[in-house]
Amino acid sequence: MSSVAPPAPPSTHRDVAPERRRKLDQLICWWTIPVFYNIFGLIFVVLTRVMPPPRPDITQAQMVEFFADNRLTIQIGFALLMFFVGFTSVANALIALQIKRMSVAPVFAYGYIVALAVGALPGCLFAAFAFLAAAFRPDRDPEIIAMLYDLGLLSFVGSLGCFVAQNTVLALAIFLDKNDVLPKWLAYMSIWMIVTELLAGPVFIFRSGPLAWNGSISFWMGTGVFVVWQFCIIRLLYTAIKNQNADEVIQD
Amino acid sequence: MATVSEADKAGRNHLPGDGNMWVFVLGDLVIFGGYFIIFMIYRHQERDLFLESQQHLSLTVGVVNTLVLLASSWFVATSVQATRAGQYQRAIRLTVIGGGCGLVFLAIKAYEWTSKIGQGYTFPSNDFFMFYYLLTGVHLFHVALGLLFLGVTFAELRSPKLRRVSMVETGATYWHMVDLLWIVIFALLYVMR
Amino acid sequence: MSVRLPQAARSTTVVWAVLSAITVVSWWLGPAHHSGPPAPSTAITVAVLALGLFKARLIIRHFMEVRTAPLWLRVSTDVWLVALWGGVLGIYLY
Repeated sequence: MSSVAPPAPPSTHRDVAPERRRKLDQLICWWTIPVFYNIFGLIFVVLTRVMPPPRPDITQAQMVEFFADNRLTIQIGFALLMFFVGFTSVANALIALQIKRMSVAPVFAYGYIVALAVGALPGCLFAAFAFLAAAFRPDRDPEIIAMLYDLGLLSFVGSLGCFVAQNTVLALAIFLDKNDVLPKWLAYMSIWMIVTELLAGPVFIFRSGPLAWNGSISFWMGTGVFVVWQFCIIRLLYTAIKNQNADEVIQD
Repeated sequence: MATVSEADKAGRNHLPGDGNMWVFVLGDLVIFGGYFIIFMIYRHQERDLFLESQQHLSLTVGVVNTLVLLASSWFVATSVQATRAGQYQRAIRLTVIGGGCGLVFLAIKAYEWTSKIGQGYTFPSNDFFMFYYLLTGVHLFHVALGLLFLGVTFAELRSPKLRRVSMVETGATYWHMVDLLWIVIFALLYVMR
Repeated sequence: MSVRLPQAARSTTVVWAVLSAITVVSWWLGPAHHSGPPAPSTAITVAVLALGLFKARLIIRHFMEVRTAPLWLRVSTDVWLVALWGGVLGIYLY
């Protein structure tokens, strides 16, 4: 009996590489987030002029003029978006993974993924396609150009349901989480996101004023809250990854 | 002083509830502050319209709603004191009544909206009514959320293993904020001219 | 322990009574109860806003117990009160 060597403790069999690799894969995913949002800002603010949006209460001729003036940068900007939008799938997968680390059922992680998979279309791609179509043939009937203008901007600002769902599952998951993966105050900030998303609903009714798609409440306050939330979650995700135990078992 | 409240004994340094809720409350106060300032700017530009539209609101309903919320805050504040004194059954009763007042508020608000819509004053009627429905609507959302938080407080108080004072304080803090926001809405929409 | 309760309870009840009384007073200050749009009144509005500030501060200080909270919370809530009611009054008078 004494000649049988005791089984070697697990640590000597575990080489260091898998631990570093586990964090490296998450960190790569994390990096896509700040990169994406900087590019997103460049595309939507500088190139395509969707943020802040042009007014809903202009004439058809002015809408045609908008596309004529910005034709080149719209095409460059949204072509870029087509490539980089894939980064968001990685970002959302990362957040979903962190939600799975929480003590709640993975249903919230799945809900998060689905909400944003659906939300990506009205949330940015629809506007891209509408504007690209409008810019594609400048001599198109002005009525059709005006409709593409409306379609793009209504969908961009007014697509709220998916993001309400996203923030609801995130807030619920954080509140119920006993593992403290993400702090509770992020859950409260997600509630602000829900409110500001709901306040984007009226853009389908108003062509001017604070609740129009360029309004002080529906657009500006909503965007302000979103930017703050985004900064916070980028920072918090990094901390969560860093604090994660390398051999932590994440639920299936 | 022979009789001091527990908070006083903590030496003027007791943060009720937890820091997370205060992030929420202070942020909400700033966000609502934004709505109120925007309201005032539009009111400034359309003074006559706002004055004319204001008469169609029922001041009596506004006063009743305010009194209901103030009473609910009394119940919630008292339930926090009961929790601190270990009187959990009393705290539960007070929380339930406070929440009940919140439900009464919602019912009165639903009645008020219904009657306004019946009189033809809808969301897109004019800028005043846009703000009326906007401000009271967002506030309504917060009342509903507050009732949810009070529900969590109720569950906390019911379970002998929990009954953490800080949890009860947290729900109460949010509820008082809901009351506070209504005070502002009442002054801006119903009373000032 | 039970001697602590009456003091805090009494203060809460007094605050509630004051708040409710001011609310009823605003029923009189409110727009006139005859037909036609209310007549604008700077004096009444200033009074309403001052009372609003007073009520809001009472709720914050007593119900929300900021009176016995750390300094940063006392200061930031007072700053919010001044910014809000001051801003509202400023725009009204502009």
